[in-house]
Amino acid sequence: MARAVTPRRKAINTALAWGIGILIFFPILWTILTSFKTEAQAIADPPLFLNFDWTLENYVTVQERSNYFRHFWNSVVISVGSTLIGLLIAVPAAWAMAFVPGRRTKDVLMWMLSTKMLPPVGVLVPIYLIFRDTGLLDSRIGLVIVLTLINLPIIVWMLYTYFREIPGEILEAARMDGAGLRSEILYVLTPMAVPGIASTLLLNIILAWNEAFWTLNLTAANAAPLTAFIASYSSPEGLFYAKLSAASTMAIAPILIMGWFSQKQLVRGLTFGAVK
Amino acid sequence: MATQHSRAAARVMISPAVILLLGWMLIPLGMTLYFSFLRYNLLMPGANPFVGWENYSYFLSDPAFQTAIVNTLLLVLGVLLITVVGGVLIALLLDQPMWGQGIVRILVIAPFFVMPTVSALVWKNMFMNPVNGLFAHLFQALGLAPFDFLAQAPLASIIGIVSWQWLPFATLILLTAMQSLDSEQLEAAEMDGASPLARFFHIVLPHLARAITVVILIQTIFLLSVFAEILVTTNGGPGTASTNLTYLVYAESLLRFDVGTGSAGGVVAIILANIVAIFLMRMIGKNLDA
Amino acid sequence: MKTLTRALLGATALTGAAALASAQETTLTIATVNNGDMIRMQGLADDFTAQHPDIALEWVTLEENVLRQRVTQDIATSGGQFDIMTIGTYEVPIWANQDWLVALEGMPEDWNQEDFLPAIADGLSVDGTLYAAPFYGESSMVMYRTDLMEAAGLEMPEAPSWDFIKEAAAAMTDKEAEVYGICLRGKAGWGENMAFLTAMANSYGARWFDENWQPQFDSEAWAAALNDYLELLNNYGPPGAANNGFNENLALFQQGKCGMWIDATVAASFVTNPSDSTVADSVGFALAPDNGLGKRGNWLWAWSLAIPAGTDDEAAAKEFIAWATGQGYTELVAENEGWANVPPGTRTSLYENEEYLAAAPFAEMTLESINAADPTSPTVDPVPYTGVQFVAIPEFQGIGTAVGQQFSAALAGQMSAEQALQSAQQLTTREMTRAGYIE
Repeated sequence: MARAVTPRRKAINTALAWGIGILIFFPILWTILTSFKTEAQAIADPPLFLNFDWTLENYVTVQERSNYFRHFWNSVVISVGSTLIGLLIAVPAAWAMAFVPGRRTKDVLMWMLSTKMLPPVGVLVPIYLIFRDTGLLDSRIGLVIVLTLINLPIIVWMLYTYFREIPGEILEAARMDGAGLRSEILYVLTPMAVPGIASTLLLNIILAWNEAFWTLNLTAANAAPLTAFIASYSSPEGLFYAKLSAASTMAIAPILIMGWFSQKQLVRGLTFGAVK
Repeated sequence: MATQHSRAAARVMISPAVILLLGWMLIPLGMTLYFSFLRYNLLMPGANPFVGWENYSYFLSDPAFQTAIVNTLLLVLGVLLITVVGGVLIALLLDQPMWGQGIVRILVIAPFFVMPTVSALVWKNMFMNPVNGLFAHLFQALGLAPFDFLAQAPLASIIGIVSWQWLPFATLILLTAMQSLDSEQLEAAEMDGASPLARFFHIVLPHLARAITVVILIQTIFLLSVFAEILVTTNGGPGTASTNLTYLVYAESLLRFDVGTGSAGGVVAIILANIVAIFLMRMIGKNLDA
Repeated sequence: MKTLTRALLGATALTGAAALASAQETTLTIATVNNGDMIRMQGLADDFTAQHPDIALEWVTLEENVLRQRVTQDIATSGGQFDIMTIGTYEVPIWANQDWLVALEGMPEDWNQEDFLPAIADGLSVDGTLYAAPFYGESSMVMYRTDLMEAAGLEMPEAPSWDFIKEAAAAMTDKEAEVYGICLRGKAGWGENMAFLTAMANSYGARWFDENWQPQFDSEAWAAALNDYLELLNNYGPPGAANNGFNENLALFQQGKCGMWIDATVAASFVTNPSDSTVADSVGFALAPDNGLGKRGNWLWAWSLAIPAGTDDEAAAKEFIAWATGQGYTELVAENEGWANVPPGTRTSLYENEEYLAAAPFAEMTLESINAADPTSPTVDPVPYTGVQFVAIPEFQGIGTAVGQQFSAALAGQMSAEQALQSAQQLTTREMTRAGYIE
């Protein structure tokens, strides 16, 4: 929708948009900058923007104190694992709801979404006891199970909205050609659904990566992801802004980079589905 | 039309998801319900006798309960208002031709990828801290007294932090929706002499209705249980000024370790969340059908 | 219930792999606070693993509130996630009475249990048996800037009164220069603002409960203490005091923004450490203030290492505790970081060590403060509880935090002192009635 506009108008748009963009991004930028300062520079008044001695000291300290890569790997396993399992369960369900809607489909969907509103703190103790009895405390499998279940409603719902956009006639046509259910899914539906699935996948990895309640409360050392890593840097003794910034940068960088690289995908899925 | 055969197949395909979620609902919820009728404090192991509705009456008569309900609503509505209005405005802007649109979009969506704990820590310490925070420096440079955000306006500060996290999500969805708008329709309206405001209210906004619905629905689900941001920044205080329902339940079950009352609070929270859900579905469910 | 959940999860065929987490060697999972001394211990732990190559250490370092919630939840449900927990004087007797802790008996000879300061060891013992080993002990005292005090033309007595503190705070405050006369805890929490306020109130003749467990927030002594506290912080305190805990105040003091700071004695080594503190060479110390009623406003606390009952590796855990709280560890820290940085407040021998006394100008005042606190008789009027800055009953952490919220709101200006005391009285009565202490 490239409308022709005057260069002047375009320049104003550009300035305004960049201004807002930088403003919104600023807290993250500031965190990254602070992570390269010394503790004293981090609280300097007036604040230092670029004119300070860049140092990696905070990153070294953080790495010495905690095993970043283990936390990182736990985060990866838990977020990707729970998303993949979630998709495996949700794709058939969403497919069925979209193409063979019954009278109760809407209700089932809404009921699923309402389970997402269950406040986690209310059920922590029961889950903790169950996990204790099944040996799932501080295990990645336990977290994968929990995160799969809490994100499943969102996954089903997103997929359902995408699938519903796929015109039923195409399926009818495929059926006329004698394609079985399996090849119907495999050759007709899948290619059309891929953008939607991809964007669901990305969104859920992000949600799972950032989930901080269950991941903190059900883990100790072995399965603790980056959310637990961050919890050891919040308000320790003495000056801590620079170390906190370094730890924060390390915790958000992987998902930020993934998000940026895949934002086209994320957006394409959204275009295809829910909001068109 | 769906055949008998495909109906049966559909049921089979839906069942794993339904069974799992049913299990997830019923097992912890069943236990929560059961605990809510017991005197059960983790710090005082003992017989855990059945006490009937005592936990409920205790939780509901807590003076903090009403505050928590009001705060929960303010938090949800405040963030929705800011993100939807802000999202529409930013999406409108980003939809205009400009240089470096891709990079601006990257900058705008970045906060969505930041963990709630991290964003709360960063905002609390590096921005809102009244002595060393950036805002304090800024205020001082302007000759103003530093404002103590988290003590003077705790709930508003938290609304601000949470809005910052969710603004990108709203913007992204609204922008996507806006890009699918037929530009010829707009141009035609422009030719007819419709003012920009009229074009916005009669063409753009109706077109965005469904996207706004999606934003409200998804965000409400997450906003009802905002927790990490409150825990990190204010611990629900000062007093109970920033305690929402989730935090109140947390305080009962994990600060006082009164699992009985905490469970009763959990049940109350679930009931209220479902009322909101039904209300929400009624209000906007039609929009989703379109 | 157990079998039901087992069966259900078994059906999902996912449990099998979870149990495979066992390893060849012993692994100790240690839950600890992210305080400076503990982080130092973590850094020096190679010394332990070198001595015990068959024991691996896993650290779970968390912020105090998170830690407390995690370990309490785990021990109360016998979750078994930790082999060693860092807990304090409040938890130890309560947990030991529930049989949740392993008694520290049969410890190595050279651990020298008799060497622990009696005041500290008593607080960690039940019926003469030690249930946790003190890692560092603390009382509270006044830390002040000698240069600012001099500039104000005042001299800090060794045992100041609250009136003098008020006078000095007024004289030292220079808000233009961002120097605030006094920094105190304001962040809500039984271990944060209530630790300070309860200890302060003790010296005003106030108490939490009378001998019949009736809450006493409607007493004049509490009103006097709270009003003075609010007056001090509102007039001479830093902005944002309602969100300041120990760590925030430490940072402020180290930056030279506080004239006085009444807080844990353990902070003395941080504020006098030139690499962290900009005011290291101008800090003086005095006993916590009093009002001439016979009690000072100082508390008693020890961060301690305890072993939860039901751990698989009791022997290894005891080995570790003996290492971390032994005299050898003190020497190890002294060797690596200097004598001033050794964990203070646990052993008599440390306060007889000439090298330590020479390196730590705060040593004498710390010991004196610790010895001045009396958990068995913390208040002017008799009380049915023990504990200086806390009430050693399980209900206290919930009540203490809720009351702390009210006082923090009063500090933030959201309610008056009167209202705060009134609602503190109400909510404490409510909780105590429910818990069955009062009718």
